[in-house]
Amino acid sequence: MNSDKQDSDKKDNRMICALTADEMTALQKGLRELADTMPPRDVWYKIREQAEAEGLLTHPQARRQMKWVAGVGLAAAALIAVVMMPGIQTGVGPASSVVPQDPLSNTTDLSNLRALQVQSRQLESDLRALPAEPRVARASTVATMSEIEDRIAAIDYQLNDSVAAWADGDREIFWRERVRLMKLLLQLRYAQAQRAAY
Amino acid sequence: MSKFADIQIDRGIVKRAALGDVRAHEIIYRAFSTPVYSICLRFTKAPAHAEDLVQETFIEVMRSIAQFRGEAALGSWIRRIAVTKSLMFLRSAWTKRGQSLADDWDDMTAGEPVSHGISSHPDDAMDLDAALASLPDVSRAVVWLHDVEGFTHKEIAGLMGKTESFSKSQLSRAYLRLRPMLSVNHVAQPDGAAVGSY
Repeated sequence: MNSDKQDSDKKDNRMICALTADEMTALQKGLRELADTMPPRDVWYKIREQAEAEGLLTHPQARRQMKWVAGVGLAAAALIAVVMMPGIQTGVGPASSVVPQDPLSNTTDLSNLRALQVQSRQLESDLRALPAEPRVARASTVATMSEIEDRIAAIDYQLNDSVAAWADGDREIFWRERVRLMKLLLQLRYAQAQRAAY
Repeated sequence: MSKFADIQIDRGIVKRAALGDVRAHEIIYRAFSTPVYSICLRFTKAPAHAEDLVQETFIEVMRSIAQFRGEAALGSWIRRIAVTKSLMFLRSAWTKRGQSLADDWDDMTAGEPVSHGISSHPDDAMDLDAALASLPDVSRAVVWLHDVEGFTHKEIAGLMGKTESFSKSQLSRAYLRLRPMLSVNHVAQPDGAAVGSY
């Protein structure tokens, strides 16, 4: 947002209302500090239901199944090509050569994933090492931490879903997000612990 | 600045969501549902309506996220959808009553808001919450968009299909109504004078 526009807006506000600059600052601060409200739990399920009815969502299992069907189709097409084309029947040709998966990229993906899992465990251990949460805390901090914990729980739920099949790289994205949120939580808890110490 | 701006989401998750991945959409929902619900609740004051608007907002996110280019922050984009949906609701609510989204101060009785200063005391926050809720719908929306979400009068005017003067006038009248809230802690200014006059 353009700061010049906001400055001009501020000037306008002073011209049109009887609030002093301090009053306006206090009012805006008070408004921004008003507590947020979480929606009821069932709202997500309603959204999901509607989105599925409209065909807006794909499920990892469905994607995997589609890939499998597509794979079978391609294999069948390749087999037909081998049978139909005399030049390839000799066994020397593209159909007989199997393109190997790049072992390096797989290893890299795996090591990234492992690194994220190790980092996540380390962050959890750092969190546990902090003193217990103070009995009196700022409502806004508690709400923010609770939201982050909620988001981590949602990611854990996804990662622990034994039924869902994961495409390559998907799991890494979710672990990366988990690590990011854990870092955020740790920063907040650390700041809280420091405040409580004084 | 708005709470939406503080929420970051991994780009990989946004990309997965653009493909319709249900898990990625749930992560986005968990991250933004509280600020979206809060803004909808501020505008409508009715939890049932706010829940419907949250549903509409996230369905719109699912429909349109493939077009999201990442030029603005994801939070700003989602916030704009939520604001547009909420204003459409206000407009439809007013249309049903045979009025346009216009000046609704005439409907208000001249009630005195509770007079307390804004401080860290929880009762004061509740009073400010109540005072905000006592404002006419359109003014409440203007106050929230301007003072909490950081929209300019020009942007508010654009969203509401009104003029900048309309936005300024709504804000000014709302400030006058909220001013007694500031009387305890902030009325005594060093120079004792208001910056401007209405």
